Amino acid sequence: MLDLGMKKGSATLLILSLIEHQARHGYDLSKRIASLSHGVLKFHVASLYPLLYRLEDRGLIEGRWVEKAGQRRRRFYRITPAGRKYLNAQRRSWDALVEAIGRITGKSHA
Amino acid sequence: MPDFREEIRSRLARLRIAPAREAEIVDELSQHLDDEYREARSRGLNEEDASGAALNALSDHPALARALAGTGRVRARQAVPVGAAAGSRLANIWQDLRFGLRILRLRPGFTAAAVLLVALGIAATSTIFSVVNTVLLKPLPFPRSDRLIAYWGSAPDKGLAEVDLPDGLFTYQRAHTQTLVSVAAYDNGSMTLTDGGDPERIDGAWISHDFFTVLRVPPALGRTFTLDEERPSGGLVVILSDALWRQRFGADSSIIGRAVRINELPNTVIGVMPPGFEFPARSRFWVPLRLTGQAFNCWCFTTVGRLRDGVTVENARREMARLSDDLVISRPDIFPNAKPGGSLVVAMPLRTRIAGDVRTPLVVLLASVGLVLFIGCANVANLMLARAAQRTRELAVRCALGASARRIRSQLMTEAGLVLLLGLGSGLLVTWWSLRLIRTLPADRIPRIDQVTLDPTVLLFGIGTAIVAGLVFAIVPAFRASRVDLQPALRDGARSSGGPGHRRTTDAFVVMQMALSLVLLSGAALMIRSFRNLMAVETGYRIENMLTAQVALPGRYQKDTIARQFMRQALERVAAIPGVVRVGAVSRPPLAPGNPQDNIIAEGREPGPNEPTLVANIRYVTPGYFEAVGTPIVNGRAFTPADGPSSLPVTIVDESLVRRYWPGENVLGKRIRHGGDPARNRWLVIVGVVPNIKHNSLDEDASLQVYEPFDQSTIWSMHFVVRARGTPGSLIPSIRGAVASLDPALPLFNVSTLEEALARTLVPRRLTNGLLTGFAAVAMLLAAIGIYGVMSLNVNGRLREFGVRLALGASPADVLKLVLRGGARLAVIGVLIGGVASYLATPLLRDLLFRVAPRDLLTLTGVAVLLGAVALLACYLPARRAMLADPTVALRTD
Repeated sequence: MLDLGMKKGSATLLILSLIEHQARHGYDLSKRIASLSHGVLKFHVASLYPLLYRLEDRGLIEGRWVEKAGQRRRRFYRITPAGRKYLNAQRRSWDALVEAIGRITGKSHA
Repeated sequence: MPDFREEIRSRLARLRIAPAREAEIVDELSQHLDDEYREARSRGLNEEDASGAALNALSDHPALARALAGTGRVRARQAVPVGAAAGSRLANIWQDLRFGLRILRLRPGFTAAAVLLVALGIAATSTIFSVVNTVLLKPLPFPRSDRLIAYWGSAPDKGLAEVDLPDGLFTYQRAHTQTLVSVAAYDNGSMTLTDGGDPERIDGAWISHDFFTVLRVPPALGRTFTLDEERPSGGLVVILSDALWRQRFGADSSIIGRAVRINELPNTVIGVMPPGFEFPARSRFWVPLRLTGQAFNCWCFTTVGRLRDGVTVENARREMARLSDDLVISRPDIFPNAKPGGSLVVAMPLRTRIAGDVRTPLVVLLASVGLVLFIGCANVANLMLARAAQRTRELAVRCALGASARRIRSQLMTEAGLVLLLGLGSGLLVTWWSLRLIRTLPADRIPRIDQVTLDPTVLLFGIGTAIVAGLVFAIVPAFRASRVDLQPALRDGARSSGGPGHRRTTDAFVVMQMALSLVLLSGAALMIRSFRNLMAVETGYRIENMLTAQVALPGRYQKDTIARQFMRQALERVAAIPGVVRVGAVSRPPLAPGNPQDNIIAEGREPGPNEPTLVANIRYVTPGYFEAVGTPIVNGRAFTPADGPSSLPVTIVDESLVRRYWPGENVLGKRIRHGGDPARNRWLVIVGVVPNIKHNSLDEDASLQVYEPFDQSTIWSMHFVVRARGTPGSLIPSIRGAVASLDPALPLFNVSTLEEALARTLVPRRLTNGLLTGFAAVAMLLAAIGIYGVMSLNVNGRLREFGVRLALGASPADVLKLVLRGGARLAVIGVLIGGVASYLATPLLRDLLFRVAPRDLLTLTGVAVLLGAVALLACYLPARRAMLADPTVALRTD
């Protein structure tokens, strides 16, 4: 298992990608990261929420309390225009990085 | 499902996150753990394991804390419950200040009332103190001025409290004194200056040569007088004041050695004094006295001496009396009745002498204003106590949460301190402003009044006053309030009006207020009665529509005939002015300063060898004077133009002289003469009698008065006395014109209406009266507010009780009586104590009263009844509320 909190930038990329099209709450995000990576990537509560708060402070995401009848309120996060711009830039540089690493290590990612 | 919130909260506690934010985080994280738990359960774990699994997500909590610390959501500012015993002392003070300001802001009405009371108290006290300080306490502006004394003689057997010194006596004492380093004599007067502008009459002093040496003030330019210049043969020399030098001679330093025309004679300017030096009074020039050491005709020298080190005022006084004895015994030709120990001398520090008659009023005013301040502070204290009582529950909660009594006390005292600080600031502002007003009062009636300023001494006094005030209204309530009894306070705090101890304190304040304001009211009432008595005094002349103007004839008028001719023509021309009803002239009009006197001997009533010669005021008048001034002739006739230099010498005397020498007799045709050498003093035949008139002030005692015709005893300084048809002020230019048409070089000076002159003599008394009455009124108002406040609070706290009483059949009148009885009890105790205090205090006013006894029973009872009535009225308002208490509402309010 890789601790995403340790890899600077990668966790941000993941979270922004996951909420790119749909607002999600913290538990949802942690479950999705775990399941989509088949358990390889896992977010700890202690790093997920502080990261969310930091992103919110930087204006990349926006949290909002949503109440549903018969349930406790949940905080949903969605991407902001600034977050979208940031996500696109990160994606490009991430792709470039992966490609470069692949070329050096000789492994094709195709 | 377990509640994870507590767990999360405990882990966040150390971070001190803002409470609202913390709640959100707890909410969000616990939601997450709930989800984890539910999932674990759905995987088949039991409750305990599921809970463990969920908490496992939190296990790395230092990381959580670290991570959160970086999110910028942590609030650095620490929220501490008020009154908690935590933190450093400095932090406590800061916290108290913030909390205090918030509390004061939340209750603007209370704050404004308290600050206003304190501000006015401090302003009034500081203002009066500033005057006392300047007039009574501040050293005179001379080096070692505490060693300067003034002394003079006294002849009570002649009815003279104060006798100035003649040339011969002063010169003898100056030559022989051992107790004084030096001593100088001076006499005030005025002269006409014709150089450097229009002819102007300027005030100045005739001084012995070492006058400035005694005062230790050297001239700024040039030199002072020499011993030779003090001799009759000395040249005409003058020293100018800085103000005169600047105003008339453009501060020209080449003035030294130049001659200026004074009284039409060239006087050489030999010196200019430094700025601000104007002693005595407001002198603008100094010229030398002409001393021979032999003259005893003019008892007109005032003295100032400098004590040797180690010598007391009393030592000097005794020496001066002894020297005076020595001299008069050695001159039986002049003092045939002299005997050892016969000379009475009074001596006092110069400062005290200058402060003179205003000493008692100022001390009385300072004491009064102190009482007002105290009464005001008692009100603030009661306000604070009432506030504390309303906050009993709040204070109890704070105690319950662990605040110590000391912390609560310091909190309450900080609040009081803030009130005090605000009050002090605004009070000093008001002081500064009122001192500007006071400086405009006439300085010739209240010495040095034009010098009052808000100097460091006054500032310090203001701050000191504030501290003393604070002791009264901050500490007592703070200590009372911090002794909170938790149980009952928490149970019925909201409707509590304080415990019995609390009420005793406020009651004591109210009683004290009543007592002190009664003392002030008594003083004020006595002063008001004195003033009314004074205004009802029979003056012997008419005040309204009278104008007086002085003219001084210079050397060209040396010959009597020329002076008489001038005066006759001037009176004719003034009489011809439209609007002038009557005109006359007199050597010294009523209410003008100065009062020439002489020994008087009545034919057939000559004093025996051990009897004193009587002294009378002497006035020289022209025909028409009595008519003009409105003094009736009660017997005989007025002077006529026929009473000329070659006709029979005549005189008019007043009723007190008649009573003294010839009681019950017809005095027309009797004769009197001036004392001294019989050969030079002819007999004067009495041709008329006038009533005794108040020449100097309304409150003077009757003194003997002799009038002589100007044509028979011609002098060179006279005052025109003009009765006008309307307001006399508009006649001044015409009168000036009439005099100028005879002699354009003669200035008219001391131009004043009698009303103005009277107002000037009344300034100190009016001021004292006005202020004292104002203080008393304020004190009464404050006391009324005090008793009203306490009764209101009392009634509010007992509304339920009154409701029950009314419900159980008590009539509203019963309730009214019940409340009024409570208030009346306080009022009566206060008035009784105040009555005793007044009885003890009012004799201090004796010097200020006029024809009313200091313990005048009618006045004292009157003010006691007045104060009692006002107090009852103040109680009636809350009592009415109690009476109207609706039983149902009253029982529901809790």
